Amino acid sequence: MFDTKKLQVPIPAHLEIPEGGVVESPKPDGEQDQFPSGGWRILRSVIDQERCTKCLTCWLACPEPCIELAEDRSVSIDLKYCKGCGCCANVCPVQCISRVPESDFKGDVEFMDEPF
Amino acid sequence: MPKKFIPGLAAAANAAVQADVDVISSYPIRPYTGLMIQLSQAVANGDLDAEFVHGEGEHGQLAIVHGASLAGARTMTGSSGVGVTYPMEVYSPISGDRCPVQMVIADRTLDPPGDFGQEHTDALSTKDQGWLLGWASLPQEVYDNTLIYYRVGEDPKVLLPQMNCHDGYFVSHIANWVNIGEQSQVDEFLPPYKAQRPLDPLRPVGHGPQIYANQGPALEATRFNAIWGAREVIQQAVKEYNEIFKRDVDPFVELYHMDDAEIAIFIQGCHAHTCKYAIDDLRKEGVKIGMVRPKWIRPFPSPEVAEALSKCKAVGVVETNNSFGASGYAGQLTPEVCAALVKGAVKVDKVPQVASFMAGLGGHPVKIEQFKFMAEILAKGAKGQFDKPTYWVDLECEVEM
Amino acid sequence: MAVNEITTWACGVLQDTNGRDVSKVLGAAAGKEGKDIWVIDNYADLPDRVNVPVRKYCKISDEPIKEKFLYENHHPNIVVLMEDVYAKAYNILKGAPKGVTLVVNTNKDFDFVLDMMAANPDKGKIKKLAVVDASSIAPGVDRDLMDIEGAEGGSQIGKGIGACLAAVVAKVTGVVSLDNVMAVVANKEAAKKAVDSVKVKEL
Repeated sequence: MFDTKKLQVPIPAHLEIPEGGVVESPKPDGEQDQFPSGGWRILRSVIDQERCTKCLTCWLACPEPCIELAEDRSVSIDLKYCKGCGCCANVCPVQCISRVPESDFKGDVEFMDEPF
Repeated sequence: MPKKFIPGLAAAANAAVQADVDVISSYPIRPYTGLMIQLSQAVANGDLDAEFVHGEGEHGQLAIVHGASLAGARTMTGSSGVGVTYPMEVYSPISGDRCPVQMVIADRTLDPPGDFGQEHTDALSTKDQGWLLGWASLPQEVYDNTLIYYRVGEDPKVLLPQMNCHDGYFVSHIANWVNIGEQSQVDEFLPPYKAQRPLDPLRPVGHGPQIYANQGPALEATRFNAIWGAREVIQQAVKEYNEIFKRDVDPFVELYHMDDAEIAIFIQGCHAHTCKYAIDDLRKEGVKIGMVRPKWIRPFPSPEVAEALSKCKAVGVVETNNSFGASGYAGQLTPEVCAALVKGAVKVDKVPQVASFMAGLGGHPVKIEQFKFMAEILAKGAKGQFDKPTYWVDLECEVEM
Repeated sequence: MAVNEITTWACGVLQDTNGRDVSKVLGAAAGKEGKDIWVIDNYADLPDRVNVPVRKYCKISDEPIKEKFLYENHHPNIVVLMEDVYAKAYNILKGAPKGVTLVVNTNKDFDFVLDMMAANPDKGKIKKLAVVDASSIAPGVDRDLMDIEGAEGGSQIGKGIGACLAAVVAKVTGVVSLDNVMAVVANKEAAKKAVDSVKVKEL
């Protein structure tokens, strides 16, 4: 009689995937390492730290979130992930964030084979 | 009219406009949404005089066309993937009430997980609901099928709804040359829909009543007779289509190099065209291989399939679908082919060895090299026995793109 | 057998129509010359997100293209960058053979573009580099939502920077004749200006 155990399909190691394709949630202080989305950026937000009042509105508004808060309440943008949406520049009450073409800067993004 | 270079959904929309559909119900789901985008534009521009109703979900979509068809309208709807399985409840009433609704399906893998690529499981899982069901493999065929299915489904001897299926993205989005007929040719081929007992306040009728148990068998038998009687109507309709549009459409199956084939590949959908190029290469090397492409799944062209495959020593059924645990250890087409070989109207003296190839799952492309891999296995099987019933081509023969 | 694979990198939604236009214009021109064409709106890049890099594909071949049911161009020999900054972060030349032609929509010069690609391991494969400032020749966002997702019958093709870049590709590579491109684009003025102002460098 045909042994149906022989029907088991061997799956190549590099294509292994857990049941249902379930994704374990990201570690709390880790990063989504596979998707550094900085390369999507076409306009970069540049914060004028002299005029910044440290109100933290931009830090709250960032949808990513990729604005980092330092101990002295100053903010900086995480260029590895910032997609350049401009929400921060839009909400800044003192308009100290300017939008500069990304091509004016060298580097600051991770080089990747594929966009996704 | 000169040929147009358009994708499958545009071809279906062109045909629907020429067929002058009366009621369209929509709900967006990728990849079939383009059809509704174009039809809504045609209605807005005045190119098509139709009621365009946006359903609250796919279930609503089908219920809308059910009612419209009962009122005597020529209707069109569509969906993809899980949008095809959501209205499962409504398919049987539409078929049982004999409403010739047409549903254009651009296949998509069923969830989970989210996958835009195509698999035939979505439409195939409705094959028991009493609808005519068939696949187009190129945008040209999507155009042809839209018109032919209306003609067949609305015929008074048939009166059954139709699912006009094609591969999502590969046929729905990739453009190819399509001969669009003149409006006069379409009018000649496809007469307006005449419902036999439409809902009409001056002539009241009741559709879908409760019945006594002893009425059950006869009622089911009328639909059985209708769908098998559709074979004659299909032949007649395709003959008329070829005459009017000056084309050469096969009514039931497409055969490629089957006259002297010792091994054969049974495949439906767009990848059949890639398969033909592989067969050309293999024939140059002296391999006697052929291909059978079914154009219909319901009614299944059992006589044609049995006759074409009866002379082969080995047959490979390519499955771009799944039915976990099915007889045949593969998908949904293997049992259909095996039944045709055992119980087709044609008596098959020596039933060929049958192997199944799971290929193109999840929307993965299938390349010529993979068809040659299948042919190699079939050649070995023709000499003896296959070493296993099912081969997962996507996993066993990974090809560099 | 000459199979030309043309991949266009554009910015999601804002440059979607123009990105598709590059493929469609080249495809339509090649169709007039009796070549076999494969024109695809990418499926995997999910183009309905603004500012996401999306790719549009086109294949032009003298002989019938055997494998049409694919998602991407895996070996592009012509790459068109509608948004120059993508060259910084992504390997736009992935899979390209030696001798690839790169056409960039930028207001900067050759050295700047090559500098931006400093991290790209395939940089040495570029044979011809063409720069043209299409964004100032035909400004404006062209958002035509008709010709997407398998629908067709929208307005004409080649109304904006797509026309400029397609014409430049024809002029620089000769994959289709420039006359045929001019015949199919709607904005002939912009296409002509782009062809007149393009700068080409052999590497």
